[in-house]
Amino acid sequence: MKKKIRLKIRRHRPESKTPPSFETFTLTIDADISILDALEMIQSAQEPTLMFRRSCHHSSCGTCGMLINGEERLACVTRISQFKGGTITLEPLPGFPLLGDLAVDMAPLYKDIDERWNYLRGAEDLGGKKLPEGIKRFERFENCIECGCCVSACPVAGEGKPFMGPAALAALNTELQKTTGKGARALLKQAGGERGERLCNRALACSRVCPTAVYPARHILDLRTRLRGDGQGP
Amino acid sequence: MEHIIVIGGGGAGAALAHDLTLRGFEVSLFEKGDLLSGTTGRHHGLLHSGARYAVHDRAAAVECVEENNILRRIAPQALEQNDGLFVAISPDDEAYGKTLLDACLASGIEAKKLSATQARKLEPALTPEVRVALQVPDATIDAWRLAMHFFATARQNGARLHPFCEVQWIDTRAGRVTGVEILNYKTRKTSIVKGDLVVNAAGAWAGRVAALAGINVPVQPGPGVLVAVEGRVTNMVINRMRPAGEGDIIVPQRGLSVLGTSLWLTDDPDDVTLPKKHITRIIENCSLMVPAVGGAPVRSVWSAARPLIRDAEASSPQQISRTFECYDHKDTHGVEGIVSLLGGKATTVRAMAEKTADLICRKTGHKIACRTRTTPLLSWRRFYAVGAEDGP
Ligand SMILES: Cc1cc2nc3c(=O)[nH]c(=O)nc-3n(C[C@H](O)[C@H](O)[C@H](O)COP(=O)(O)OP(=O)(O)OC[C@H]3O[C@@H](n4cnc5c(N)ncnc54)[C@H](O)[C@@H]3O)c2cc1C
Ligand code: SF4
Ligand code: SF4
Ligand code: FES
Repeated sequence: MKKKIRLKIRRHRPESKTPPSFETFTLTIDADISILDALEMIQSAQEPTLMFRRSCHHSSCGTCGMLINGEERLACVTRISQFKGGTITLEPLPGFPLLGDLAVDMAPLYKDIDERWNYLRGAEDLGGKKLPEGIKRFERFENCIECGCCVSACPVAGEGKPFMGPAALAALNTELQKTTGKGARALLKQAGGERGERLCNRALACSRVCPTAVYPARHILDLRTRLRGDGQGP
Repeated sequence: MEHIIVIGGGGAGAALAHDLTLRGFEVSLFEKGDLLSGTTGRHHGLLHSGARYAVHDRAAAVECVEENNILRRIAPQALEQNDGLFVAISPDDEAYGKTLLDACLASGIEAKKLSATQARKLEPALTPEVRVALQVPDATIDAWRLAMHFFATARQNGARLHPFCEVQWIDTRAGRVTGVEILNYKTRKTSIVKGDLVVNAAGAWAGRVAALAGINVPVQPGPGVLVAVEGRVTNMVINRMRPAGEGDIIVPQRGLSVLGTSLWLTDDPDDVTLPKKHITRIIENCSLMVPAVGGAPVRSVWSAARPLIRDAEASSPQQISRTFECYDHKDTHGVEGIVSLLGGKATTVRAMAEKTADLICRKTGHKIACRTRTTPLLSWRRFYAVGAEDGP
């Protein structure tokens, strides 16, 4: 089933003098393609210099976060068929420096995510009775793909407060679960610091928009409970 | 030292920027989209043990197993290291298994034969129809993060990386390549960048890039469809024990299972069509090995183009070798100052870079050994810590 749609895209190059504006692209598509597929169609047939980020096409790299009709989503796993009406509006993630059009610089996200925090954890039990020879435990990557959707949606981060933000706090708590002793105390101290957990006002926007079910707000609540238990809480 | 211009910010360009900076070269890399917006990032995420190629493409198998061992050491955070299984579900599969086991052992791949019962003890989601299995050292790659490890390390060591900069023209006016013309999408301005040598690492787009210098390279874009379904139903990579074909692999990754793939040949690397028949056949074939993936909700369907090297002799596209080649266009076309890096796999990008950097050393008269086999890569997160924009 072919369908005609319009993508209304916010265009702006901070490095050029032209002010921001919306440009509308019209295309005829199969109704079940993703927003990312549509962007690639525009790029190859209409506007090669349209700027957006993407890599994996299946919600694992975390590069394609953007505002789709005002909500933080991944373009690669958002299907066009779920939207009624013929026009879909795309804007870059607020809260990150703009590179151009829909592409933002993710550097601020990583400011409080330590590069040494382990990205692997034990995999869920799938009922296996044995491990393969040479394998000590089944491992898997963490769920957080560092897409920044939660940070962008968080009202506190949006007010420009010096807040670590939901992604870093979730990553911190994830690391805490793998750490003991001195390391754990240092992590808790960081979470309880001025830029940490205390600034979160439990708006839950982060958990609502997270595309990979990290539920950052739960991690923050965990930290809060633990900090209170440790006598370091607010 | 010499200034090397790399065209293409995929896995191959990333590994090359890393190798060249380690050897002391000045490096500028240009990528028309964001880094890793081409084929790298879209693949299954299989760190090949080499077994898939052992029977019909021995050279690729040997490259894979060597690189597999190296990447486990230098980038462990980008891998789920849970091994893989080849499973036989028909008498034909079982017969192929004997050839496969011999070929693996002859290629240096540690393959172990398992009974059906043993295999299902490891992975209960396997179909009860399993007849025998082979355990092989496959692993899952986080495709974007592995390549970003290379970029982070290269950037830390001084490589200048320029996403959103398309190479539009290669300057051969002096009778040799002296530089490239860039269109910077961020400023919409063009500029000429001079360099001592240009490397075409544009993957499936390498034919178009070489044409900018009037050179014809034998690259053959070979797209395939991939399907990610919800749910991690196995921890090991599951391969079908039969010659390479459609829908013969399931790669678990995070909470997803990635099913692959198909293969057709095209002249247009931007051909991102998603043939419905391929999707159905991939899901059907994969669910013969692991029934649970058959009914699982589909998270995403996409396609990507392999950068194959054209081969008129291959009896089918599947038979085209997955090895890589680097061409000095002084030898192939009499054009000095440009090299093309073609073919390969995400698993073998480090080796591709080593061979290319060796060639660059020979061309520039340096004797500097490759150190990438043993140098641990920095975390992808370092990429963002190193600093904002890279100067020209
Ligand atoms: C369906 C499929 C499944 C695969 N599965 C696996 C797997 O499981 N395991 C594995 O090891 N390998 C796999 N591969 C192979 C692997 O993905 C590729 O070999 C590898 O990613 C290619 O990397 P590359 O750097 O050569 O190309 P790319 O990643 O495509 O990089 C080339 C870059 O050049 C850029 N470029 C093009 N023209 C220009 C220009 N004019 N100026 C600037 N930049 C330009 C492009 O935008 C692109 O980003 C698979 C491939 C496919 C298609
Ligand atoms: S729960 Fe806290 S961190 Fe999450 S969006 Fe609300 S204020 Fe931000
Ligand atoms: S917690 Fe979720 S929304 Fe936030 S960065 Fe990680 S994956 Fe993205
Ligand atoms: S393209 Fe990787 S998360 Fe969307």
